[in-house]
Amino acid sequence: MNNKVDAIGESLLRRFAGATSRRSMISKLGAVMVAAPVFPLLPVSRANAQKPDRSVEAKTAFGRNAQTRDDTKCDYWRYCAIDGALCSCCGGGVSSCPAGAQPSPVSWVGTCINPDQGKAYLIAYRDCCGKPYCGQCGCDNTDRATQLYVPQLNNNVIWCFGTSSMEYHCSTAVLVGAAK
Amino acid sequence: MTFPGCTWHVLLKTALLIGVALPIAAAEAQTTETPPMPPPPPANVDLKPEEAYTQKMLPPQPQWAYVRGGGGGGGVRIFDGATGKMRGEVDTSQRGDMAIDPASKYYYVADTIWTKSDRGTRQDFVAVYDTTELKLQVEIPIPGRIIIGGEKHNFILSDDGKTAYVYNYSPASSVNVVDLVKRKFVRAIELPGCASLMPNPVGFSALCSDGTMATIDTTGTKPVTTHGPHFFPATGDPIFSNFTYDKTKKQVTFVSYTGLVYQATMGATPTVAQPFSIQQAAGVRPGETTPLDVNWLPGGRGLMALHAPSGQLYVLMHKGEYWSQNEPGQEIWVLDLASHKVVKRHPLKAEISNIEVTQDAKPLLFINDKDGTTYVLDAQTMEEKRKIEKTGGGLILTADVGTPAMAAAATASTDGSGAN
Repeated sequence: MNNKVDAIGESLLRRFAGATSRRSMISKLGAVMVAAPVFPLLPVSRANAQKPDRSVEAKTAFGRNAQTRDDTKCDYWRYCAIDGALCSCCGGGVSSCPAGAQPSPVSWVGTCINPDQGKAYLIAYRDCCGKPYCGQCGCDNTDRATQLYVPQLNNNVIWCFGTSSMEYHCSTAVLVGAAK
Repeated sequence: MTFPGCTWHVLLKTALLIGVALPIAAAEAQTTETPPMPPPPPANVDLKPEEAYTQKMLPPQPQWAYVRGGGGGGGVRIFDGATGKMRGEVDTSQRGDMAIDPASKYYYVADTIWTKSDRGTRQDFVAVYDTTELKLQVEIPIPGRIIIGGEKHNFILSDDGKTAYVYNYSPASSVNVVDLVKRKFVRAIELPGCASLMPNPVGFSALCSDGTMATIDTTGTKPVTTHGPHFFPATGDPIFSNFTYDKTKKQVTFVSYTGLVYQATMGATPTVAQPFSIQQAAGVRPGETTPLDVNWLPGGRGLMALHAPSGQLYVLMHKGEYWSQNEPGQEIWVLDLASHKVVKRHPLKAEISNIEVTQDAKPLLFINDKDGTTYVLDAQTMEEKRKIEKTGGGLILTADVGTPAMAAAATASTDGSGAN
C-alpha cells in the first residue's frame, strides 16, 4: 500500500517537474498534497485492503449508477467528486483544457471506481483557469468529499494556483493511477 | 443635505430614540423602511425639474437579510423581511466575503480583484463601507485570501468587532489578522492543516484535518497555536464547515454529515461536549455512513442557522444516502439545543440550499434555492410570509441586532456616526 502511495507521489512529482519548470515550490507542495490523501481515500478498510469490496452494497449511489461511455455527463465514472463545469463540454476533454485555458498544476482528488472492471482509480480534478466560467454541464458530485479543513478533498476551492489568473473556467478529471 | 419632501431624518431619529429608550420594544418597533419617496404631484400641477441624488439607508436592521449571488455574480443584496423589498447592495466580487460590524457602523468585505479584470496584478484587501451611505471608507491591503464560494467562516470578526481574521490558502494555509480600529494588516499566522475559523476570547480557533480543534492565542507578542484532543473523523464523518456561533454563550454548534451535533465552548482550551444524533432527537434512527442506507441527513450549503436568544437550531435535512452532503433540504428541522429535541419538522416545497434566521424576538427565516428565489418564513409558525425572486442563490447573512443588548448598542453607535 505504502509503496503504491509512494509510486503515485513520485510519478506526480515527475510529471509536475516536467511540466512546471518555474513553479517549483508550488508544484512540489501541490504534488505532496495530491499524493497525501491516497490512503485515507481508499474505499476499503485497512484490514481488508487486499480484497476491496466492490459489491453493489459497498458502492456509493454515484458508484452504482456510473457509466463509462459519455464523458459529457455528470454520471461519467471519473466524475465521482467533481464540482463545476465539465471541460469536455467546453471545447476541452476529460483530461485536457479548452484552447486558451491553463491547467492548474495542483488539484483536489477523488477515488472513483470504473464500473466496467470494478477497479478504483485516483482522479485528479485539475481546474482549467484564466477564462470566464464555461457554464456548460455543471456537476456537483461529492463522493468522499470533505470540508475546507481537508482542502485536497474539497471541491469548492478554486484550484487555480500557479496559473497566470485564478479565474475558473472548467474542471477536468485526469486519471493519475490505480488506487488499488 | 436635504431631500425634497423626504422625512428621512425624522424617521431615523425616531427609530434611534425608540431604540435607546426602549431597547426591547426596539427589536420589533424599529422601522425597516427606507425613506419614502415623495408622493406623486396632483395631475393638475406642472411637474418641476428634479435633481438626481443618492439615497442613504438605515443601518443593519433586525429583519434584514444579506444574500450573496452564489454562482450568479457579485454583490450582496440586502432584503427587508418585513416588506420583501430590496434595500441596497454591498459591493463585493462574486467570491468576496462580507462581515457585519457588531456595532452596525460598517460592512467589511474581504475580496480579491485583478488590475485587468481577470488578469494583471492581484490585489487582496478588506474593504470598509459605512452602513448608511455604503461609501468605501478604506481598503486595507492583505497578503492574500482563499478564493472559494459558499463558506461562512473564512472571514470572521472578533466578538468586539475590533479584529478581522481572513483565511488564506495559497495552497499553504494561513490566517491574516487585520486591526479594524487602526485599519491595518497586523500579521499572517501559519495554520497548517486547519481552516473554518471561529472567534475565541483569546484569538480564534479552527477545525483541523486531524480531527482536532486548533486554538490560536493572539494575546501575547507572538501567536501561540495549540491543538485540543481528536474529537471528530475529518474524512470519515466530516463536520460541515458552515457551523453556527453564539457570541453570548461563546458556543459553537457543529453538525456532521451523518447528523451528529457537537457543541464546543470557546476559551483558551475549548471543550467539546459529547455529540448527539439530530435524527435520534427527532425519534428517527441515527445516520449511518453505510451505502444504500437511506435516512434523513443534513445537507446543503449554508445548511444551518441558530436563533441564539432561544437556542433553536434550524437545519436543512434531506432523505438520501451518505455522501449526499450537498443535497438541498427537503425539510427544516428545528432542534432545541437545551433539551436535545427536534421540536418541529417543516416540509419544504422548493429545494433549499441556504438558511438563515434573524435574531429578534419574532424571528424570520430566510431560505433560498439555486435559482435565486428567497422565501421568508415566520420562524415560529413556519408560515410563508413572502417569496422574493432574483435575490441571488448564495449564502445568507443576518445582522445580530435583534437582541435587546445588540439593538441598543447598534442604535447608540449609529447615533454617534452622525448619519443624517
